[in-house]
Amino acid sequence: MSTRRQAITLYRNLLRESEKLPAYNFRMYAARKIRDTFRANRMINDFKEIDRQVARGKESLELIRRQVIIGHLYTTDKLVIEQKKTLRPSDD
Amino acid sequence: MSFTQVARSCGRFAAALSTVRLSSALIHSQSRMMHRIAVPAISTMLTQNITLRHYSARNTMEEIQHRVLKVVCAYDKDASRGRWQTQSVRSYSAKPPLSLKLINERVLLVLKLYDKIDPSKLNVDSHFINDLGLDSLDHVEVIMAMEDEFGFEIPDSDAEKLLKPADIIKYVADKEDVYE
Repeated sequence: MSTRRQAITLYRNLLRESEKLPAYNFRMYAARKIRDTFRANRMINDFKEIDRQVARGKESLELIRRQVIIGHLYTTDKLVIEQKKTLRPSDD
Repeated sequence: MSFTQVARSCGRFAAALSTVRLSSALIHSQSRMMHRIAVPAISTMLTQNITLRHYSARNTMEEIQHRVLKVVCAYDKDASRGRWQTQSVRSYSAKPPLSLKLINERVLLVLKLYDKIDPSKLNVDSHFINDLGLDSLDHVEVIMAMEDEFGFEIPDSDAEKLLKPADIIKYVADKEDVYE
């Protein structure tokens, strides 16, 4: 049986791991998806269903971990929106 | 010009001086011998030549120092004009020192910037879940934001006890050994 604390730890681990994704689109999608899914499923009372969802979360965590490693093997340049704006004296 | 460069060039200069002095002494003694054997005119020419050299080599220490310093000064002026970016900048690896007030401000700023918290309701003693209307998932995110802000990890067992901004401030202060 999964407890509340396990679910919260899973949430935290998922968010932490998704921050490491090198590709901007995947990173943003993962963060959004994790938040939305947890919030959508927080009212589930059926223990079996909770267990199933937590198992799904763990699978996703594994998947994200794999993708972080693979993503770091094949990195690309950062997107324009990711680059930090350097302030020039003309525009502040 | 760095200190080592100055020292090195000084050393080279001194070495050059000593070789000149040595060679001149050698030639001098040779010429004296020649004076006895060979034609005096040549020998006088030679000695003249040597004496000239002798003078140039016999600089006082002050003169040498003056010359070296002049070169160094010129170089420094030149360097400061053209290459200011080589000026050394001290970067400290340690974080800026924290005080309780600073921690307080930073915690409240992070909370204010969190979109689900109403800044007008925010208070050091307001309870995240009861007063500010966050749920446990939001609480996790708040704690994660604090971890990012202060740069250390907060374990889950501690995180669930941090239910007020005051708790977080106290926890961070304990962790960073800040007492005032």
